[in-house]
Amino acid sequence: MIHFDFEYVKPSSAEEALQLFEQFTANGKKVMYYGGGTEFISRARMNEIMTDVVIDLKAIPACNVLEENTEELVIGATKTLTDLVETNFFPLLSSVIRLIATRTERNKITIGGNLMSNLPYKEGILPFLLADSKLAIATKKGIKKEKITTVFEEDKIRLKEEEFIVQILTDKKVVNQAFFNEKKTKQSKVNYPILTLAALQMEENIKVAFSGLYEFPFHSKEIDKQVNDHKTSFDKRVEKVIKLLPASIIDDMHASSKYRQFVLKSSLVKMLENMEAVSS
Amino acid sequence: MNQKNFTYVGKDIQRVDIEDKAYGRVKYTDDVMEPGVLIAALHTSTHAHAKIKNINLEKAAQVSGVHAIITGEDFPYPVGPMLADRPPIAYEKVRYFGEPIAVVVADKEHLAKYAASLIEVQYEPLPILQSPREAAKKDASLIHEHLGKYTTMVEGVHAIPKTNIANLTKIRKGNMEKGWEESDITIEANFSFGPADHVALETRVVRAEILHDGRVMIYSSTQGPFYVQKMLSEFFNIDAGKISVQTPLVGGAFGGKGCVQLEFTAFLASRAVGGRMVRLVNTREEDLVTSPVHLGLEATVKLGATRAGKLTAAQYEYYFNTGAYSDMGAGMSKAGAVDCTGPFKIENVHTDSHCVYTNQPYATSFRGFGHPELTFVMERAMDQLAKKLKIDPLELRLMNAIKPGDTTPTQVHLNASNLGDVSACLRKLKQLINWTGEERTITRDGKIKTKGISSFWKTSSTPPNATAGTILTFNTDGSVNLNCAAVEIGQGTKTVLTQILAEKLQLDMKKIHITVEVNTQYDPHQWKTVASSTTYLAGRAVMAAAEDAIFQLKQVGAVALKCLPADLEVGNGLVYMKDSPEFYVKIKDLATAYKYPNGNSVGGLILGAGSHVVRHLTPLDPETGFGKPGPQWTVGAQAVEIEYDPKDYTYKLLKAATVLDAGQVINPKAAIGQMRSGMYLGLSWASREQFMFDQDGVVLNPQLRSYDTIRASEAPDYLVDFVETPLVDGPYGARGIGEYGVIGMAGALSNSLSIASQVSLHELPLTPEYIWQTVNGGGK
Repeated sequence: MIHFDFEYVKPSSAEEALQLFEQFTANGKKVMYYGGGTEFISRARMNEIMTDVVIDLKAIPACNVLEENTEELVIGATKTLTDLVETNFFPLLSSVIRLIATRTERNKITIGGNLMSNLPYKEGILPFLLADSKLAIATKKGIKKEKITTVFEEDKIRLKEEEFIVQILTDKKVVNQAFFNEKKTKQSKVNYPILTLAALQMEENIKVAFSGLYEFPFHSKEIDKQVNDHKTSFDKRVEKVIKLLPASIIDDMHASSKYRQFVLKSSLVKMLENMEAVSS
Repeated sequence: MNQKNFTYVGKDIQRVDIEDKAYGRVKYTDDVMEPGVLIAALHTSTHAHAKIKNINLEKAAQVSGVHAIITGEDFPYPVGPMLADRPPIAYEKVRYFGEPIAVVVADKEHLAKYAASLIEVQYEPLPILQSPREAAKKDASLIHEHLGKYTTMVEGVHAIPKTNIANLTKIRKGNMEKGWEESDITIEANFSFGPADHVALETRVVRAEILHDGRVMIYSSTQGPFYVQKMLSEFFNIDAGKISVQTPLVGGAFGGKGCVQLEFTAFLASRAVGGRMVRLVNTREEDLVTSPVHLGLEATVKLGATRAGKLTAAQYEYYFNTGAYSDMGAGMSKAGAVDCTGPFKIENVHTDSHCVYTNQPYATSFRGFGHPELTFVMERAMDQLAKKLKIDPLELRLMNAIKPGDTTPTQVHLNASNLGDVSACLRKLKQLINWTGEERTITRDGKIKTKGISSFWKTSSTPPNATAGTILTFNTDGSVNLNCAAVEIGQGTKTVLTQILAEKLQLDMKKIHITVEVNTQYDPHQWKTVASSTTYLAGRAVMAAAEDAIFQLKQVGAVALKCLPADLEVGNGLVYMKDSPEFYVKIKDLATAYKYPNGNSVGGLILGAGSHVVRHLTPLDPETGFGKPGPQWTVGAQAVEIEYDPKDYTYKLLKAATVLDAGQVINPKAAIGQMRSGMYLGLSWASREQFMFDQDGVVLNPQLRSYDTIRASEAPDYLVDFVETPLVDGPYGARGIGEYGVIGMAGALSNSLSIASQVSLHELPLTPEYIWQTVNGGGK
């Protein structure tokens, strides 16, 4: 049971949401934006977080959009993972997020919530990092569009306190490209990832991104370069990738650093075996 | 199955509780809403071992709606079922992460939890011990400074003061020197695993109130209502007759609800608020960590055998990790010694089984009671021996299978009644899983399929005076009320007991109304529903009560039918003449006195009463272990088939098989369900369930997000079959079967994976990382 009292509001527009945020903050209240609630409810119940106000974004029409126009696939930030898997506009995205938790959770988890998750995984971000998607962000000065790679600094998407993601926009040409993804866990397939690897064919080259290696999802152009070095064998490419890793891979209760490295190697090889067959 | 002419026993009768459960109509302990009930919430320790310097209750006490806050100071006396070593609320120090430090009682749940979160504790950290082997060393720092002064509640607990050893059980059988001399080959191996948990669907919950006349009313999700009564009576000095415990259906237990913990706390909480009813329910995290867990083990085994494969000697060194308090850990370390050899004939046995304190959550009974643990060790060792001897693992087990005429490690003489047929189970298993001897095949896509086997046995560690009773009353329509204090925890006991009565009275199941809830005020005294002993104890009590009722029916029937009682038979709701069944009187016309045509009544009420008590059990000799710990040994054989991927060390569970000697299967579908659920639990434990600790003893995965269990889609296909060698004094020959599905799974899985990966696996859980580590030569 969540033992503290808090206020719950459900604005019907982005402007209203920002207004409410400003009002409550001005009165010294702590305010949180709310999507599916799976993180908030669990963490609040366990006394890990507290808030005075919860602003539920799910009634904002722009956040509920899910459509393809002439240029882009537009995904509203409050669409649930189940919605996205079932409509399957972006196959790599569906393939990655359908492995998160179980269906019961995916019925509630919103894609925006996953991108802004406090947990280190944020697996939903991987396909968007690879596809060079844009985020439509609600700001004091109106809706701002930014490349996800710009706002994703170091370890997470950095927004101002009052800002929130309204939509994710992805170039239509990219969503149906060849892809590969794999999630490795400690044992049961329902668990946090030791490694989630996602790869997307972008023109001539493969781009690859990872969750689970560090406390944050990770993509690097240098690693892409090694991965696409057709002159060397798969094994040699993978060895070079390992050398390029920026920091030491994490060691935690799910897996040791060395084992994660082994899992990374075998997943990379598997990815190359799968995708080179397609591209060549 | 045996071809006997039973009407109800041995038949697939639908469980009496199944519809209500499937439709969600059951009211479990916490499904009762009562006005005016106060709520208790715990503040638990964030340290694994520390002195409590100060507890600041100021802020918490100021929360409106808080009626009382209690700490260890309010009851600084240790309790416990075997060794009274545990203060119900931490006193002076904490010994495990999650230990209760204070209890807040408030009007509403959110207020109690809020106040509990405002309690501030100052700790002075103490050295932390997490390995039982390390903790058992002579110079290890002490977790229980007062060990030696604790009251021993039952016989057979040998604590060693000034150490962390709560119990030591020794087995000295035969002549070890001779045994080693006779062996051509020996193997020696170490094993280890940490604590895990029961994870029953229904978390533990208790309501307690103290009435104005001093009567204590307890409502608890427990396996032992009379056991709760006994513990509260002993430790709070209240007459047993003034303590009433009520238990409805229980939503799973697996041994975790056979201990008393929340009941002590809830009683103290109620006492602190003038006897008002207080509800204390575990959050999932508390149920996992604060309430007792499934114990860990570090072990060394050495086996000797002749070149032909005959076992000559066995030596076991067990360090059971009972955590911060001994609870039933002291019983499990004893059980591990009692059956240490597994179902094999070994004449020379040397065992030292230690129950060791560590600064991890404390352990209580877990389904199998020490046997899944000892079986993992012994069955993996048997496969290692088979490999060294170059003998087929199944043949090696058949060669050494224990038989009537042999003795157990504690030197009990086994006969065809008190021992099931091990060889028959192994032979039947061989057929069931198609064991050819070539158990490692490579599939087309490079995966490796293997089968691993395990045998198992177990006797129940009932106390020497374990009893059960049954009362039968009749209704005016001739139907019967069956009153017995067996707790329905999902094992199907209420159905099985109804079947036994139906068979004895030859009465339709629909005419038997078994009380599902247990109430210590109205039900006959019964030992807790544990140890696979309920069908035996309560089944015999049901039959005794039925015989008593039949005797009375015949007495009154003889008056009604003007004959001798010996001329009569009872069946189908009638009392009738054996030679001329057309002369009968209906039970409903006798049950509440028989009325003559002229209106005179005779006979009174038919009230059937019966009970059963275990016979001839003795404590174990402290030096040799000689003694009779249990009434009979149920045995079986199991196998696990897997598909292993050598590239990434992952594996799929394909099949899990059990052949069990059930004596007489009372309800086949229910028995198959019991075997399946046991296999599921055993495999989940062996393959992934375990608590993870950091170096400070903090539990890193106290929630189901990160405490891994097998998901429905990951379960194997189950194969189950039975052998029936009757237990002569069991009800219709039935043996206890409840726990056994779990026991051999870790052994069979580790054997299967060892064959697949071609390394010997000795630790649980059997995760891909552990296999990778072992294959690639990295130790821990």
